Amino acid sequence: MLSSSYRVLVQAGIVLILLGLWEAAVFSGLADTRTLPPPSEIAIHIVALLGDQDVLYNLWITSAQVGLAFLIVAPVGVAIGLLLGEHEYIGRAFRPFFYFLAGVPKSVFLPVFILTFGIGFTQKVAFGIFQAIFVLVISAIAAVGSVSPTLIKVARSYGANRWQLYSQIFLPAMMPVVIEGMRLGMIFNITGVVFAEMYVARAGIGHMIATWGMSFQMPQLFAGIFLTAFLSIAVNEVLRWYERRVDKWRK
Amino acid sequence: MAEVTDSMAHAPISSEKFDLSVEQVSLHFETPNGVLKAVDEVSFGVETGRFVGLVGPSGCGKSSLLLMMAGLQKATFGDIIVEGEPLTGPRPQDVGVIFQESSLLPWKTASENVEFPLALRGVDKAERKQLATDMLKLVGLSGFEDRHPFELSGGMKQRVSIARGFCQDPRILLMDEPFAALDEQTRMTLGDELLRIWEGHRKTVVFVTHSLTEAVYLCDDVIVMSAQPGRILERIEIDLPRPRTYETMATADFGRLRDRIWRLIRGSE
Repeated sequence: MLSSSYRVLVQAGIVLILLGLWEAAVFSGLADTRTLPPPSEIAIHIVALLGDQDVLYNLWITSAQVGLAFLIVAPVGVAIGLLLGEHEYIGRAFRPFFYFLAGVPKSVFLPVFILTFGIGFTQKVAFGIFQAIFVLVISAIAAVGSVSPTLIKVARSYGANRWQLYSQIFLPAMMPVVIEGMRLGMIFNITGVVFAEMYVARAGIGHMIATWGMSFQMPQLFAGIFLTAFLSIAVNEVLRWYERRVDKWRK
Repeated sequence: MAEVTDSMAHAPISSEKFDLSVEQVSLHFETPNGVLKAVDEVSFGVETGRFVGLVGPSGCGKSSLLLMMAGLQKATFGDIIVEGEPLTGPRPQDVGVIFQESSLLPWKTASENVEFPLALRGVDKAERKQLATDMLKLVGLSGFEDRHPFELSGGMKQRVSIARGFCQDPRILLMDEPFAALDEQTRMTLGDELLRIWEGHRKTVVFVTHSLTEAVYLCDDVIVMSAQPGRILERIEIDLPRPRTYETMATADFGRLRDRIWRLIRGSE
């Protein structure tokens, strides 16, 4: 039985060993420093980038795009999923479209988004939403199926109208499954925003990463990759924390 | 409970002596093998303040009948008259339902669960909180108001369900095998509790159960049904004196009544 502090210690050790091996590989000449800078150098650049107003501004732009896209897509996706999952006729008519479109790679639509929304903030948000909405809707449809029919009967027997059924029974009962979908949706959302930034943009961490890559600034490029990873992990952890709170009753 | 009457006062019932009357009710399902008569031309009435049990083998349509009385299921034929008017859907002020286990909203506390029917009706928060606290006290759950269902035992959860059913103060309470998932001891205790509360509030009760002992112990009348088609075999009056106690179960009359119901059910199979 491992205590949790012991486990964290072991995990930190594993990370340190891996970074050490990486460092050793670079200094022993096993890896080419031109394409793979050592972690120590990347760390120095991460610190430097975090002190750079320009980088912070671009990180902020990316975060704002991702955040706004999420604030729009989460309620909209859940609402559409609830309607498609719960309403028999609407569901049967429209569900197939979502299932089919979910399988199409969203990146091929990027030029359409550029032509429609330009290359600025709005286009990134729109593309983030577009990337995330399918997984959210589909998980919300699955969440509707997880709602206990008894609870629906209970609420109906107490005279709940359709709106009360949705808000008082379906939404809270769907939450544990929906929050999983939100985490997936968030990953798609970040991928969409950063990808769109890398393709064509004036700002954003994706835009910076693409620029560093094209100008062979490897330490900055890797530092940017790490920063993007930290951002995604932070977002995911926040959602997991919320999930544990919501999930408390599902024992 | 009696304090809850104001806003939901009932129109006086005319000459109608039944609170609830089931008239020629059938529930048919289309199946690949033809029409399944889950409930077939069932009629009975329940007088005000009477505790009536519905028993029968599984598939006799007793639970379907209860859903129809709750307005949750439409009858294929026939009418269910509640206080003189045919039922067209749930009518929570008149008819309350206490379901089988796990009917509590798991994300709400015991108190919020009891308040739920009142909240749907827009009863003021402070008022419904007070009512819920009183009801939880009545079912012996004082101090558990802020617990979630996953922190309560099966028996306690069912006590919360009972409190929820009584809290909205309907004239008629329908109970769908409320103690089915409980162990024998808890079931006995809750049966006694239910009788105690009912003696105090005299709701009209329809109680679906598959336990003959429970039916004889709790009810004024027991309606015995047969399966496929779901029909009434007989309505048996349980003329055992109240209040009934554990000793009542040991009497010859009790055994005779339970025996009679058992023979009816077995004979129909």
